[in-house]
Amino acid sequence: MAAAAAFFGRVGAYAYFVGDFVVAVRRHGVPWRLVLQEAYSIGVRSLPILLIIAGFVGTNLALQGYFAFKPLGGSRLVGMFVSLAGVRELAPIIAAAMVAAKAGTEMASQIGVMRIREQIDALEVMAVNPMAWIIAPRLVGIMLVLPALTVISTFMMVGAGLLVSVVQLGVPGEIFLELASQGISAPDFLYGQVKALIFGLIICTVSCYFGFTCERGPEGVGKATNQAVVTSAVICVVLNYFLSEVFYGGAH
Amino acid sequence: MLQNTISDGVLHVADPEPAPPPPLIRLRGLTKSFGPNTVLNNVSFDIPEGRTTAIIGPSGTGKSVMLKHIVGLIRPDAGEVLCFGTDMARAPEPALYAARRRMGMLFQDGALFDSFTVGENVAFPLVHHAPQMSEDERRAKVNEKLALVGLPGTYERATASLSGGQRKRVGLARAIIMEPEIVLFDEPNSGLDPITSDAIDQLICDMKQALGVTFVVITHDIVGTVRVADYIAMLYRGDLIAWGPTAEVLRAEHPVLRAFLQRNLILPPAGGSGDARLPAVQ
Ligand SMILES: Nc1ncnc2c1ncn2[C@@H]1O[C@H](COP(=O)(O)OP(=O)(O)O)[C@@H](O)[C@H]1O
Ligand SMILES: [Mg+2]
Repeated sequence: MAAAAAFFGRVGAYAYFVGDFVVAVRRHGVPWRLVLQEAYSIGVRSLPILLIIAGFVGTNLALQGYFAFKPLGGSRLVGMFVSLAGVRELAPIIAAAMVAAKAGTEMASQIGVMRIREQIDALEVMAVNPMAWIIAPRLVGIMLVLPALTVISTFMMVGAGLLVSVVQLGVPGEIFLELASQGISAPDFLYGQVKALIFGLIICTVSCYFGFTCERGPEGVGKATNQAVVTSAVICVVLNYFLSEVFYGGAH
Repeated sequence: MLQNTISDGVLHVADPEPAPPPPLIRLRGLTKSFGPNTVLNNVSFDIPEGRTTAIIGPSGTGKSVMLKHIVGLIRPDAGEVLCFGTDMARAPEPALYAARRRMGMLFQDGALFDSFTVGENVAFPLVHHAPQMSEDERRAKVNEKLALVGLPGTYERATASLSGGQRKRVGLARAIIMEPEIVLFDEPNSGLDPITSDAIDQLICDMKQALGVTFVVITHDIVGTVRVADYIAMLYRGDLIAWGPTAEVLRAEHPVLRAFLQRNLILPPAGGSGDARLPAVQ
């Protein structure tokens, strides 16, 4: 019971936080000169790990697709399997997970340190709204970068799948690509971009929320960082199901 | 102008003014608890314009919490704080920010941004509130304030490379860059060597005389306090146990107050007259 109350208290506090942020941005605007720097650091930090993870998810999609369809005589369908699973589902969520793991944790820990070292209070006292100054550029930055990372993640995944299929499994490359492009259509890319924007919104606001509410003391920042990545990953994954249901559910 | 001085181990405290100047900050019935812990209990007093008011008391008695109420970072459970007539807990954000732009605050550890250079930290309020100012003008102004706090030529220094005392001085330069009418200090002397500490005290005295700035200083350094303060307020366990001109507070009879001051000073007799003396051995 107490745990449930604490949980809903947290949800309410987060909702207030987001509301305050919206008011702050409407009043003070976005400090645009900071956006590029944030976008760059989010992208650069997340890209290497994203390339590795997306690539090796692609390899396994190819292997499993091949093993699943081979007994049915459809080993050529591996291209379709990789593109369908990659473009629609795994590329967006993996890009989001990596950004949550790298950029999100960094937001939470940086802001947590700012809270503990009274820098957020100092901004307030200098009559600079901390929410507009700290969160807004990070939010715009992540919204610019995560869709791009999602595209990169998609190509990396399908590319790795193609490589494994051709080199290891002996599926001809043209066949792979032909079936891969049959499996998906233009709206699939669009839906991936919509997912990326929604995930970006969640990761940024959740991570900043935990940073802003960081407790003092030696464990404060670590705890905030941990809660930021766990919470934003769980929300994104659960939301991903509902988004896919909305986007693709009509095709039963 | 009031001026306290030290010579030959004797602290000459200026006679109190007939009446304090009108208050710039008014605390009325300020009450604040964190859970069961009552940190401020119905505290009321005025901070007069153009004077230096020191807030003293043992650690953990709510001095920092009181300062945060004055700048509107904490909302009281009851009572109010008025700065320039603005209710700092209830004013809408534009009015609150307008009041804060006339105030500067030095945080206990400087609260500087480590990713900025020293100069960028000091320039920060100017960049936000005086965007029309040219880069050269801004630099000149920052360099002037850095020189004032004893750190000339440090504009390009990395903030992370500063010592604790230097951070405080940079924080002070940032607090005064907008030429505020009120400057609040949270323990400007703690963790500083005696020479830097004296330099900051001297800076407070100079700025008060030159600019008529109202200072609110929280401090543990009793001797420094008595030297710079025109008025003293003492908090003890959340209660305001003394408030008045420095000379009167030094002669007050309150036992806790006397015990607190006597750790560092040899006081004049209670209710009597005369200057405080510094203990012979440092
Ligand atoms: N944000 C806060 N939440 C809970 N307790 C606090 C908070 N800020 C201060 N306190 C408590 O209030 C009391 C007074 O603190 P403070 O004003 O910092 O003392 P000091 O007089 O040394 O500056 C302390 O017991 C401290 O633990
Ligand atoms: Mg304190």
